[in-house]
Amino acid sequence: MPTMKYWLLVACLLQAVIVFGQTRQLRGVVVDEQEEPLAGVTVLIKGTSIATATDADGRFEIAVPVAGATLVFSYVGFQTREISVTTEQQLRVQLFIEKKLMDEVVVIGYGTQIRSQLTGSISSVEGEMLERLPVVSVEQGLQGKAAGVFIEANNGKVGGDIRVRIRGATSMDASNQPLFILDGIPINTYYINDGVDITLNPLADLDFNDIESVEILKDASASAIYGARGANGVVIITTKRGKSGKPQVTFDFQQGWSKPTRLREFLNGRQYVDYFLDAAVRGGKYAYRMGLGNFDSEQEAIDKYTQRVLNDLAQFANGTDFLNNPVSTDWQSLAFQKAPFSSADLDISGGSDRIAYYLSAGYAFQNGILLDNNAKRYNINTNLDLYPGKNINTGLSLHLIRNANNTVPNDYQFTTPMQIVAQAPITPLYDSTGELTNYPNATYQSPLVDAYNSFNLSVTWRSIGGVYAEYFLLPGLKLRGEAAADISNLNTNAYYGKKSDLGKPVGGYGYVYNSTLENYDVKLLLDYTRTWNEHTLSLMAANEYQRYKLQYSEADGTGFPNDNLNNLSSASQIVYYVGNSDEYRFLSYLGRAHYSLSGKYLFTLTGRYDGSSKFGENRRFGFFPSAAAGWVISREPFWNNNQTLSFLKLRTSYGITGNAEIATYQYAGLFTVSTYADKPGLSPYTLPNPDLSWEQTSQYDLGLDFGLLSDRINGQLDYYFKDTRDLLLAVPVSATTGFTYQTQNIGRVTNTGIEASVYADLFTGKFSWNAGLNVARNWNKVVEIAPGQDIIDYSGSDGLNVMKVGYPMGIYYGPEYAGVDPATGDALWYVNAEEGSRETTNDYNAAHWVILGDPNPKVIGGFNNTLTYGAWSLTLNFQGVFGHLIHLSGDHWMNGGAATYDNQIVEALNYWKQPGDITDVPEPRLFFDNGNQARSSRYLSDGSYLRLKNFSLGYDVPEKWCRKAHLNGLRLYMSAYNLLTLTRYEGWDPEVSADGGVSNYFFSFDFYSAPQPRTIVFGVNMKL
Amino acid sequence: MKTFAIILFAFFGLAACSDVLELTPTDAISTEVALETDEGVKQVLIGAYNALSASSLFGGELMRNAELFGGLDEIVWLGTFEAPREIYNHQILVTNVDVEGFWVEAYNLINICNNILAHIDVVKEADRNRVRGEALLLRGWILFELTRFFGQQYVAGTNNTQLGVPIITSPSAASTDNAFPARNTVEECYAQALADVTEAEALLPATNEVFATKYTAAAVLARIYLQMENYEAARDAAHRVISSGKYSLLPTYAEIFNTDGLTKECVFGIVVTATDGINAMNTYFSTLAYGGRGDIEIKQSFLDLYDPADTRKALYFKTANRWRTGKFNNQFGDINIIRLAEMYLIRAECNLRLGTAVGASPVDDYNKTRVRAGLPAVTTVTLDDILLERRLELAHEGLRVHDIKRLRQSVGSFAWNDPMMVYPIPQREITINPNLIQNPGY
Repeated sequence: MPTMKYWLLVACLLQAVIVFGQTRQLRGVVVDEQEEPLAGVTVLIKGTSIATATDADGRFEIAVPVAGATLVFSYVGFQTREISVTTEQQLRVQLFIEKKLMDEVVVIGYGTQIRSQLTGSISSVEGEMLERLPVVSVEQGLQGKAAGVFIEANNGKVGGDIRVRIRGATSMDASNQPLFILDGIPINTYYINDGVDITLNPLADLDFNDIESVEILKDASASAIYGARGANGVVIITTKRGKSGKPQVTFDFQQGWSKPTRLREFLNGRQYVDYFLDAAVRGGKYAYRMGLGNFDSEQEAIDKYTQRVLNDLAQFANGTDFLNNPVSTDWQSLAFQKAPFSSADLDISGGSDRIAYYLSAGYAFQNGILLDNNAKRYNINTNLDLYPGKNINTGLSLHLIRNANNTVPNDYQFTTPMQIVAQAPITPLYDSTGELTNYPNATYQSPLVDAYNSFNLSVTWRSIGGVYAEYFLLPGLKLRGEAAADISNLNTNAYYGKKSDLGKPVGGYGYVYNSTLENYDVKLLLDYTRTWNEHTLSLMAANEYQRYKLQYSEADGTGFPNDNLNNLSSASQIVYYVGNSDEYRFLSYLGRAHYSLSGKYLFTLTGRYDGSSKFGENRRFGFFPSAAAGWVISREPFWNNNQTLSFLKLRTSYGITGNAEIATYQYAGLFTVSTYADKPGLSPYTLPNPDLSWEQTSQYDLGLDFGLLSDRINGQLDYYFKDTRDLLLAVPVSATTGFTYQTQNIGRVTNTGIEASVYADLFTGKFSWNAGLNVARNWNKVVEIAPGQDIIDYSGSDGLNVMKVGYPMGIYYGPEYAGVDPATGDALWYVNAEEGSRETTNDYNAAHWVILGDPNPKVIGGFNNTLTYGAWSLTLNFQGVFGHLIHLSGDHWMNGGAATYDNQIVEALNYWKQPGDITDVPEPRLFFDNGNQARSSRYLSDGSYLRLKNFSLGYDVPEKWCRKAHLNGLRLYMSAYNLLTLTRYEGWDPEVSADGGVSNYFFSFDFYSAPQPRTIVFGVNMKL
Repeated sequence: MKTFAIILFAFFGLAACSDVLELTPTDAISTEVALETDEGVKQVLIGAYNALSASSLFGGELMRNAELFGGLDEIVWLGTFEAPREIYNHQILVTNVDVEGFWVEAYNLINICNNILAHIDVVKEADRNRVRGEALLLRGWILFELTRFFGQQYVAGTNNTQLGVPIITSPSAASTDNAFPARNTVEECYAQALADVTEAEALLPATNEVFATKYTAAAVLARIYLQMENYEAARDAAHRVISSGKYSLLPTYAEIFNTDGLTKECVFGIVVTATDGINAMNTYFSTLAYGGRGDIEIKQSFLDLYDPADTRKALYFKTANRWRTGKFNNQFGDINIIRLAEMYLIRAECNLRLGTAVGASPVDDYNKTRVRAGLPAVTTVTLDDILLERRLELAHEGLRVHDIKRLRQSVGSFAWNDPMMVYPIPQREITINPNLIQNPGY
């Protein structure tokens, strides 16, 4: 076993390094511009973690190497200063108010870097931008905050899928989610499917109030250090750690509620009855005209159809007088629930020269707006850093989480609450016996019956933790070892009662799903930094081994004695069971060299040699290099310290990254287990492909960083070109082979884009206004699929998304709707047999399929403002997504022309009534399809929106009042999420994708998807 | 320097351990291992039955669709699924998921059978004929089913050059094997199906647990010959099944259905248990109370075809004011694919058409099911009587559209040979395989 050998060596090294380093004591004082002493300033020996802090008089004392060192002085709100010491005994250091973003320390992969010295493209989001947001998952806090980073929740379910795309999507069948690194560990972000098509977002386990910063690595210079997993970009999350100084205690509590952002309007009882009676007449006429159903006269057909509707509506009406005084149940409102939100957090941090600690505990309870949907999360976090000796740092992190999620079925299941809108409004909520009205006395099985008679509770226990140790072997040379684990246990317990859809025929249906996911990561890292004359050289080399293993089991039972005895052991019969495990490993060697000449000319080289068990024996290892250069033009003498254009840096990079996010064993030719009549058997599963390997993305980036007016305004501009080849593609195979797909390295996708972001301190002083604007445009293009293949189309009759050569991924493709024939009321489509011809047909099958629009947003952006006036502060974060269409697939039921008894949206009333009518809604004909085919441009709608994502208003209670209450600070605030939305979208909410079946192929697809929540909370934040 | 040596050693210490990347799955085995032993090949044969029992095939959709396709005049599709509705209305889109599922699962089954046949030599000699016979039977049978859904009706006395489906007789080891075949003619498909099933009948034993026997093959031959209007061969094949003495009509009609375990009347059935298999007939024909979706209503006009005294009529029941068949009310019940009653009716029909009395006179065979249904025996019988009896006895069991076609009848306004009386070749296949020609009208 490699790990054993590994740690033995680490132990040897431990002994070997202790002999290094001779030091002396250095004393000093730190003051501000007014010569007032500054307390709590961090004093760090550069290239080490040896640090101390100034006392109340601004004084400090630190042991520095006799050989000399560089001290870094940092303090929140002040510019960081570096001072070289050689033989000085006393230091007096003055710090100036911070204005320069360029001097921030940025977390990069396997290290840190000063922003002005970066050669890569990295967006940073400060933890305080995320704190206290009334959402459950960290990605939601990042929406609109970073240029070129597209984030979208599939729908308004709590704890559900969230898509993150950095600089566009590169892959068709592998994941397009970025790699998430939490404090150095690649954490599990695979959506966990608990066996019944419900997915849980693992990132929702994290308490983002403990996040110090989030860095998003976008170009190859930044992400190639993550090799075979860097192609989708990398999100590095760093949690808060203690700083030396006296204990800081913060308590925060907030409470609020959520509501759906938008509702739709459906037919009331009267409208519904009239609509279907008319549709029956029209259906009868149509049937007679087309010779369907053997009628002797038109009147006979009309009478039969009308009688049929009267019979059926009578049944849905349950004895109420639907003809004269119909019931009008507002089913839509019943899909939602009161949705309170509450959270509390207690943080304690502090430290001395021997220890620094950050401890926190918190909970967040969020009720979803959707019936039966809620999440309860408890977090305990510990970050400890110990400085036991002059050359040794060590520490640990531990995040303990319990996250309980009451989930609801996916959009495609009829039990999901949103599909309640299909019920006829003439159906009373309760029948004459006082029971909830249900099928067959309602049009469909009632989701309410399921909601009240079933539960589906998923509980995750998760521990993410790690230890590290650092040894300073020589000045500037550091050895660091890390071992970390991310372990999740998921337990899902579900029971569908005797009245529910699933439970009714079998006397109750229950199941238990258990999974354990172990993810271990160990690494050993050498870091060397040396500065001589105008040269600075940093070298880093590391190796890393990661092992991921998932084990799961599920059992389902039926026949329960009653709904209260719903544990699986009460089941009379076990009807389904499954248990398996899955494992993959990565073994990697990596390195980076960064060289800076006079802080003006910057060069970075990185490389990673990555091996993975997911790939075929012929191509198991790959090399992923990158090179980058930067030129800080503003530091050139000829720039003359120009303070108008105060900072200017040109940077460029090129590199290769990979994407390995596919299922395991895709390279092997396998037979899998299949049974018949409870006897064991085997069936062909995959065709072999020993050459299977990662997807390869080469990326070129050209960027400009600038500062204006003494850096009061900062900005970044980037152009990039990402070229992804050897796509891991489930290539459709002719079914006559006996197989339908095989994963092959075939195909090519490119992403070209521009990103711009500007941050400005528009006003400073008593009234301050800090604004950030970011905008990005990405052009995505499918360049190549399998040889001879022009299109991949999995959309069937419900969807429109395809992969088509020459177009963006997921482009809409299908028959083009041409409206309604004014003479007949028939739905029309453009024949599109030849370009330019606008000939129409009423035969859906005769319409040639054409490109209908783009589901990918053209422009995404954010506009983030923080305003303060004295004790008041206001945050306004806008987020916008523009220029794409959404497929309202569910509308082919909700605006479907009486093909079924589904209730209709009010727009359906604009239907064609008589010859000459000009309308978009075809004549409804009972039980006949007329333009209600989901696969048609009829159901596309503009998805652009501009949203006030976060609005928060805070008031800092004056210090004198706080003192009376023995508080160091008190802040009262209100915060609103999704407060305003501007959109022309016709569905519920434009931030949408059905979670049933959403994929790289299938997005911007609305199928009874729950709208987003609008959440408003009030909170109090105390410093004790 | 020693320290650096240690560090370097630590760094590359893992290099020697790249075998940590060699992993094997826990739920699958390599193709070579699966097919190299007697036990392995026999397990693959179980896999073939599993494929046969897929919901797209004999799990129920194949029969459901035969009823929907010929059902405009006797049943109503009420359900929300579009694919069956398109089939029912004869407005099938080339992307119809049920049509695609049928094609995909059928060729999956054919590939499994071809794998077994290609590795038949590793099967112990004592079992080799049986295993070979089962693989041939399943391959030929499903080819017959594909042909009669995707190709126009076989017309006796003509060359039948209308297109059927591609005939595949070798296993696929790579994604390009068997990937680009053209469609064979209906004549060729029937010839291949007959050859496979005829050989299977000779190889198979008379009993074989719940699996196919010699008489399953004979019964399938009876169906194929009947569809080809080869009445002598159909009659003789049906006669071989009846005269085997292995099967008997159950005393009452109701006890044939919703059973856990195949009955004496069942010549071949799909086994469904609570833990294995799916009864898709239950899913669509039965109602919520029995685990179904309640998607199919039986028209009153169809029920009116039964004599009021006919006990078979009692199996229909009414929920929500709509008639339903009671044949599929056991969610985990076995599915009858071929019953002995069908063999009696084939023999009766063929004997009557040919003026022969092989095994029994037509009227005696006709009276078998009639008397069981509580009706008095008759002394004379016409062809129409037998065909009506067939329709009533075997209602909703998956024969309807095929009978309409061979009898040159029509459904709604669609004549037996209307272009809309066959499935379209799935669009996914047309896209991948340029050698496939779409059916006219699609």
